[in-house]
Amino acid sequence: MALLEINNLKMDFGKGADAARALDGLSLTIGAGETVCLVGESGCGKTVTALSIARLVPAPPAHYVGGEILLNGRNTLTMSARELQAIRGGVVSYVFQDPGASLNPVFRIGNQIKEALKPHRPARATDAEMIRLLKLVGISAPESRLKNYPFELSGGMQQRVMIAMALASEPRLLVADEPTTALDVTIQAQILDLLRDLKQRLGMAILLITHNLGIVGDMADRVAVMYAGQIVELSPAKELLRRPLHPYTQALMNSVPKLRGDVQRLSAIPGNVPRIGKFPPGCRFAPRCPVARPECSDKLPELIEVELGRWVRCPFWK
Amino acid sequence: MLKFVLKRLLHMIPLLLGVSLLTFLLMSLAPGDYFTTLLQNPQISPDTVARLKAQFHLDQPWYVQYFYWFKSVLHGDFGYSMAYKIPATSLIFARLWNTFLLSFVAMIMAWAVAVPLGIWAAVKKDSWIDRACSLIAFVGLSVPDVLLSLLALWFAAATRWFPVGGAQSPYYDLLTPMQQFWDRVHYLILPALVLAASSLAGIMRQMRSNLLDTLRAEYVTAARARGLGEGWVIWKHALRNAINPLLTIFGYSLASLLSGAFIVENIMAWPGLGRLTMEAFFAKDSYLVVDSVVMATALLVMGNFIADLLLAWSDPRIRLK
Repeated sequence: MALLEINNLKMDFGKGADAARALDGLSLTIGAGETVCLVGESGCGKTVTALSIARLVPAPPAHYVGGEILLNGRNTLTMSARELQAIRGGVVSYVFQDPGASLNPVFRIGNQIKEALKPHRPARATDAEMIRLLKLVGISAPESRLKNYPFELSGGMQQRVMIAMALASEPRLLVADEPTTALDVTIQAQILDLLRDLKQRLGMAILLITHNLGIVGDMADRVAVMYAGQIVELSPAKELLRRPLHPYTQALMNSVPKLRGDVQRLSAIPGNVPRIGKFPPGCRFAPRCPVARPECSDKLPELIEVELGRWVRCPFWK
Repeated sequence: MLKFVLKRLLHMIPLLLGVSLLTFLLMSLAPGDYFTTLLQNPQISPDTVARLKAQFHLDQPWYVQYFYWFKSVLHGDFGYSMAYKIPATSLIFARLWNTFLLSFVAMIMAWAVAVPLGIWAAVKKDSWIDRACSLIAFVGLSVPDVLLSLLALWFAAATRWFPVGGAQSPYYDLLTPMQQFWDRVHYLILPALVLAASSLAGIMRQMRSNLLDTLRAEYVTAARARGLGEGWVIWKHALRNAINPLLTIFGYSLASLLSGAFIVENIMAWPGLGRLTMEAFFAKDSYLVVDSVVMATALLVMGNFIADLLLAWSDPRIRLK
């Protein structure tokens, strides 16, 4: 049994006539100890997918119309508030994009870490345990950090604190939603190294959300590429980077600068990501696709397994 | 911290000087003075009036008057009320206390109702309770203090549950201390309620929108993601941050409460500073006018000062220098 199994998830924002489909038939599995990257442009539904795992999207406006999210074999969509509290932190922990905004500005670091320990491991909500966690994420002088307010730490330090809090309850799945986007480039590498190192030591699964294909190769076992509320390509990371199959994935890769090889002009993908609820008919990428054919706009292609472990939502992938 | 307190207190001095100077200037621009009406009285000789004027330096230009007033203030003497024929100091402080009492009680009433209602409306957004609160706020913001005061007077007169006007019974001095206390409470309730009702709506709306903002904040999502209960998330994480802007508003609301008190005091005959200022102004009891304005300004500045201290205490990011 996979640790996380999202099956055909459909979610709207709003209800009735105002309903706008944000996730449309999304399926994704993550095995224990596996690292999966979820890649896509802003607004494609990555964050909403991640937050849905622990039902953290405010509902309303969110409205789940179909599918299931099996975490440890139990559907989080039908859980009571009490059950959700138990899995939040207990089974799945989150690290968010902007550590400065994810830490409450008016409480000390120690106060907030203790809060992450108390619901799940009340006996270990001690200073010693908090210091151990801060050491684990590479924070120097952890004793004095406990008394700091978030604004007294740098962005990288804040993100380390967030990771320490996420690890506090020993989750089996760590969801990191663009954990390095708000940080300096040098700090980004440190945080990613830390995540990889922690994963090896603690053996948890990671769902890493990013719009940066550059970090996929370093981190991921498998990659899911998302476009307009759907997964368009799902593949082992190495193979995807070597030979992307879906035109959207190819376009994404061409828009990343390469250090080696012949210098080409960077190509941008023309047009914009379709807005939620305003998805085009047929294949959603067709209006921006360089190899689109007239029939692409007629029928929404299925996600099909074209090679072992490689899934593509495009009939013309060859 | 101590430095900040001292600095703010020192800042008050030029402000109060400026306010008093401006009030003297404006008073001097209006024609006549307190004794002008006495000239109409055939029983008082013009010589007497001139002598009285000289006694109060009213025959001098306004800046000389200001100088005399300022000199006596330095000795703790706020001049003499020509209309009441007693030193202004005793008058001012008794009235200042009444106004403070009225404003303070009204503020506590307003905040005690507005803050919980605002929280409730934000947490149950778009529910019937939220709509009901919006309606209350709409009515509260639209009905002027004057009308509310008149309605309260009518209510007091019609039911006879509350006294109409004044701050205490005529036989107040004959009561036991306990009875005196209840007598004052009895007189205070209605004006305080009117004053509270007028500021309640604004605070409630502000509380609601602040809390809605912080409920959308990322640290609230992060707190939920840690497995904390919803009540605790709202109480600790959202509310604690939503209260900060309200502390700033506290300073302003004291200002509006004071100006509201002017109206309520005048209509409901509450013997406070507002009413005294108004009476003194119409009688051209110039020293008393200046004293009242200065006192009201001081009260206002103190309110803002307290709000700043509260904000610094509540938000660790603010360091007072």
